[in-house]
Parts: sequence; C-alpha cells; structure tokens
Amino acid sequence: MKATVWLVLGLVLAVPPARAGAPAQTEKTLDEIARVATIMVDGDVCQHILTPRALEHMLKHDPRDDWQAGDNYDVNNEAFIQTKKTLIRLAMIAPFPVDVNLWMPVPTTKDVHIVIRNKYDLSQFWNGDLEQPMPAPVQQVLKTGDRVTVAEKPGMVSVLAPVRNSLGEIVGVLEVVSSNSAPAHDEQ
Amino acid sequence: MKGAGKLRKLGSRLLLLLLVPGICCWASDFAALSAYHRPDPFGGIVASDQPGANWGHAIKLIAARGGYVSFQLVVKSDHTCSNCKLSIEFSQPVEVYREWFHFNTPDKHYYPDALVPVNLPYTFQMPDQENAISGQTARAFWVDLWIASGTKPGLYHGHARLLEGASSKAIPFIVSVTSAEIPAQDVVSIDSNTYGLGWLRQQYPKALNGSDRSNEDEQFHLVQQYYIIFYENRTTFHILGYSHAGYVDPGFAPELAGSGIQKHIVSWDKFDRLFGPLLDGSAFADTRRGPSPIPFMYLPINPEWPANYLWWGEPGYQTEFTNVMGEMEHHFREKKWTTTQFEMFFNQKKRYKGFEWDGDEERFPADYSYMLAYHDLLIKSLPADTPVHFIMRADVSWTMGKQMDILKNAIDLWCASGGMYVWSSDKLPELRQRGDTVWNYGGTPSVQDVSVSTAFDPLRTWIRGVDGFERWLAVDPGTTPFQSLSDGGTETLVYSGERFGVEGPIPSIRLKLQRNVVQDLDLLEVEAQRGDRDAIKAQVVRLFDNTSLAQWSHSSAPPPAGPVLDWTNADIGDALKPYDAQFPTPHPNAWQSVHDFAVEQFGGAQ
Repeated sequence: MKATVWLVLGLVLAVPPARAGAPAQTEKTLDEIARVATIMVDGDVCQHILTPRALEHMLKHDPRDDWQAGDNYDVNNEAFIQTKKTLIRLAMIAPFPVDVNLWMPVPTTKDVHIVIRNKYDLSQFWNGDLEQPMPAPVQQVLKTGDRVTVAEKPGMVSVLAPVRNSLGEIVGVLEVVSSNSAPAHDEQ
Repeated sequence: MKGAGKLRKLGSRLLLLLLVPGICCWASDFAALSAYHRPDPFGGIVASDQPGANWGHAIKLIAARGGYVSFQLVVKSDHTCSNCKLSIEFSQPVEVYREWFHFNTPDKHYYPDALVPVNLPYTFQMPDQENAISGQTARAFWVDLWIASGTKPGLYHGHARLLEGASSKAIPFIVSVTSAEIPAQDVVSIDSNTYGLGWLRQQYPKALNGSDRSNEDEQFHLVQQYYIIFYENRTTFHILGYSHAGYVDPGFAPELAGSGIQKHIVSWDKFDRLFGPLLDGSAFADTRRGPSPIPFMYLPINPEWPANYLWWGEPGYQTEFTNVMGEMEHHFREKKWTTTQFEMFFNQKKRYKGFEWDGDEERFPADYSYMLAYHDLLIKSLPADTPVHFIMRADVSWTMGKQMDILKNAIDLWCASGGMYVWSSDKLPELRQRGDTVWNYGGTPSVQDVSVSTAFDPLRTWIRGVDGFERWLAVDPGTTPFQSLSDGGTETLVYSGERFGVEGPIPSIRLKLQRNVVQDLDLLEVEAQRGDRDAIKAQVVRLFDNTSLAQWSHSSAPPPAGPVLDWTNADIGDALKPYDAQFPTPHPNAWQSVHDFAVEQFGGAQ
C-alpha cells in the first residue's frame, strides 16, 4: 500500500527515542562513534548495496508513473546486511539510543539518498523520499572528509563522518544521530 | 466508476412527502433529505448527489432490526437566527449530529462530511459562526435512528421540530420496522487501517500537549476510541505499531530485556493497558453492538522485533524470536484471548531503507523466502495445540498469483489489491479449500464522489465472495480538515473531535453510509444462505448499477504483457480500464434501492 504520505507525516510527528546525559557528553559520544565508524564501515561494500537496475530507475522519470523508482528499488542483500549489522554494532557503543545511517550520493546527479536507516527512525536530513537534494553538511563531509556536528532539528544531534573505499575515495557519509525526546526506556 | 448515472426503475422507498407547513410567514425552511443526497451550505445539493434529490417535509423509512436507519434534516434561512432549536420526538433511540461543511480544495466546493454529535434539544445559530462560510444559508443535521434487535415490527412515528422564537415547524417521520434482523456478525470485514501514532499527536494537540511518553494514558485512550467508533459503525480497525525501520511504539509490544538466550519479556503492563480491554471486548461494553473482542490485530513482529536484526542469519535470531513468541503465546492463552486473529504481517519496503526485503506488496521473487523463513520461526515458537490464533498475513499486488502458489500453507490472510485481484480471482476456490481468508484493499472515495460510492467496495467484496476489504488509510484527514480537505478526504473516514470537546474521533457521513451498506449486506447474506445466492446477487447488482454478476468478477482484458518486473503502475491502470469502465457512476439512490430490496423482501414491509 502506498504509504509515503503517512510515512513523511510520521517522521515529522514521531516522538523519537531519548538520549541521556549532558549535550556535550552526548556530542562527544556521537563523535567517538563517528570516528570509529569511518574506520569500520567498508566503502567498497557500500558501493555494492544499490543494484544497477535500481539506480537506472532512480535516474529515469516516468511521467505516467510517480512510483516507478520506488517500485523498482532493490539492493544486494549481502552488502546491505553486512553494512547494516556494522551500523547496528556502532550504535550499540552508546549507552543511549543512537542510529547510524548511511548516506550516499546518487551518481550523475547532485542528489543524495539514504541507503540504510535504523530502528529509531532518527535522522536530521531524511525527508522520506527515495532520493533528495544534498544537504549542505553532507556535501561538506563528502568534499572535505572532516567530521561535522549538526544540531538543526530541535532536540537532535548528528555527527557526520566520511565513508571511504579501498581507493581512499569518499563514497558516503555516516550520520550518527540521537535525540533528547524521551521514552522511559528502550521499547525494543 | 465512470459514465453517466442511470435512474433507478425501482423507485426509492424513502418517501419524501410534501406537506403544508404548519405555520405561515416563516422565513426559514425546514426540510428532510435522504441520507444519500448531501446538502451544500447554500441551500442546494452537492453536484454529485443531485439526481433524484427531493426536499421533503415528511419522511418514511424502512428499517431492519438490530441496526440504524438514517436521514438528514436541513434548515435553510436567508436571515440570521441566534436561537434556533432542534428537537426530535421518537420512541426509539435517536442520535443526531451537526454536519460540518468542508471546503474541498480539489474542486473548490463545500461538502458535508464530519459529523459532530449534539444533544437534543440543540440550540444553534444561523449561519454557523464556527463553520464560517461566507453566504451560508443552510445548516444540516444527520439523524441516526437505532432500531434495537427484538423491536416489535410495526410503524413508528416521530417528529423533528424546529423552533425559532415563538414559531415552530415540524417534520413528521415514519419508520416501518420489519421483522428482518441484522446479524450481529458482519458478512464482510470492512476494515479501516492506519500506521503508528504520529497522526494522533497531530490531531489531538490539546490531549497530547507536549506529547511524550507522559501522555501514554491519553494516547492509549485515544487509540481505544478509534477501535470503538469503527466497531460501532461496523468496520474493523487495524493500527500497525512499528515503523519501516522496525521501531515499535510504546504499548504495541511487551517490553523486552536481554540478548540471545537471555532475551525475554519483562513487562506486559503497557501492552495490557492498551490492548487488554480490546482483546477481552470490555472496551466495547457501552456500544450499541455490545462487548466483543476485536477480530483482528497486527502483531509487532518485524525484522527488528522480537529478535535483534543483528543476529539475522545466525542462531541467536531464532532463539530470540521463538523464546519471546513462546512467552507471548503463553500470556495470550492465560488471558483467554483466543478469539482474535493475531497477524504476523510485514509492512516494510526496501525503498524506506530499513531492511533489504519487501514485506508489503512483494515484487521481487527473492523476497518470498523471507516470508517462508518467518513462517517457520512462528511455527517453531508455538505449541501445536495452542488455542491462540496466530496467523500470517501478506498484502499482495504485483505478484499475488505467484505468491498464492509459492506461499501456500504459510499465508493465512491474503490482503490483495482490489483492482489487480480481478486477474487472480480464479484462485479463490483453492484458497477457500486451504482455509485461507481473503481480503481486498484499496482507497476511500472522495467527498466529491457521489455519496453512494462508499457502497462500491463493500458490495464488490460480497459479490466476489471474499471476506473483507481494507481501506488502507482511514484516519488521516490532513492538517486542517475543518478549513479545507486537501485530498477530498480520501484518507479518512473519521475526524478528530477535539475542537468540539469530544475526547476522540467523530464519524463522517461516508462512514455512516458505509455502515448502512454493511447492515444491508448482512441481511442479504442471511437470505443468500437460505436461497439462491447467485439470483440474489444478480438482483442486487442490477439494482445498484444495472450490471451483471460476471462483470464484477472477471476482466475481459488480461494483465499487462511481459515479466511483472517490467510492469508500471500506468500499465496496470491501462489494463484495468476495460474492467473499470463496466461500472457507471451509480445513481445517488442506487443503494436505497438495494436497501429496500434487502429489508422489504426479507423482512416484509409494514
């Protein structure tokens, strides 16, 4: 069922899980995870997540079918699972709920797409679309390779860090993110 | 449904009689309308409902027992009135709602839809200051008359009365209560679906002010109110408690702790507070229909719950899954929640980037194996003799025929795209033989569609012989529905009652019309079981839109050519055009004709 509208609404309205501790300590923890994440996440594997067929459909526009890109979105399971499990382990470093998301540029365009999200639905940038315009902080990390801390969305902090492949190229960006909105505990 | 409407040869049994008003020199007009002819705020009828509309000063209705019968009252006045008073005298229970006129952005016209409950006598102003429509000259009221099961058949007389100062106008009405009894159980499950809790926070800013987990009780109460309003209006309700990336909202699952062999349930408190009254039926004690456990419920199972996705493909995943689900079965059994069908349903799609496979509307053949793997896990979790009904559900479209073969004996509930099902309907006997349940799914008619459009999907469900129909999103009226409907209300059948002081949802005209349709289908099914089912169905579709049974079940055009992965939504739309073109836009009185047939034929008019 076509649930995109609901999905975006849910993202806007969702009460994200909480982090504990002072903001400075939180940022320090997130930054440390981001630093380790750059080391642990394999950029070559990330580059194999999206299938060529899915990319082909992302790049083409069908005026008669608004859903064609999403309906044809597909991933290579092995690369996806390996990377997602690494992101989950990285998030577990924090003693409070954290998501580590993977962003990658969409080839031949100026857009970016989130490639892997995690269970708290946290992100300061994702708008619910398959792909979207490149946020400036993501662009900055792709260009410089520096880690960047972002606190644009109320209550949320993200540290962005580069993902490199075996050639040393920056091929993606990790968003290590938490929120200060408060569940009593981790519902999971 | 397209094309010009056709006048029904079978005349409406809802008689609108023109009588001489009792008092002359009255500047207002007080009139009755059938439930299917919606008024506009300027003294007219909305365009789509105009054929066959009659403004009446008396009304006669025919009703079965154990259900509602409905009509509308309209006060038209070109002068202001600060102290108009509406009252109704009737020996049976009466529920009255003021109709809210929504500005519909797509066609820039006003339509009544939200129904705000009022207590009688009801004092009101003309025009409605709150609705704030420039040039408004009409206010409208929806009247539901409840005819309880066991009511003595006969003629019941009532009056609706409008007072303005010393002046008075009355509309007499007669209800012919037949011996027909609407069964307590509906023949089709017409379902209203939604996802998560984000929509609640948008629609109840006062109740959930500054919403966080401290508003948990208010959230749980509101969720229960949605179950109640849908139950009272003969639809079931589904609310999915997890996101595309696997986050489970509070209360939608028991709380877990530990990892691997240590993972277990540590608290049922929230889950039981939210779902306990729904699962034992006590939440519905104050409804007309009486207490009854909910028939269906989504489980929180997803790739991230109860097992940690980190262990997917490793022994720990099965251990966590089976241990927690075993505990869940034990809890449900102890609570005697043995009526509800607990659905293991995967809603995630890989396009939302949480997981690598589609659970909903699977398109890629590689994803089928996940469904089989989870079915295996569920079976491993449960005692063979469990009295609790854990089932596996799949929502299918692109590849439904193939899935119905490959996933046989794994899927118990098929929720199949209402349009594309026409190409797989020949599988129904086989699915029936397996004991599977089959639903269709689709959207909700817009307010600008002819009122009787709400009957189409419930009717098609019954005609096709499937078990239910799910409106995939039925609680989202948009951000400012009382100012304007951005999408014609196609994602809702209810509205937030908060601005009117109601602690929960309020119904819509479309929900009420749908309820009345389901009541009639229940009656028709009783008679179909006694007699010639096909003849009764054939008569019903002839009365509804002058079609034949074969038109409803089969398409003359095949599905798109080539592999499914090459199909587009446009291809499907094109392939379905010949099927859709068979159904003309129904006349606003179309269902009235079916209602009269159902109640009069099988109950005997008084």
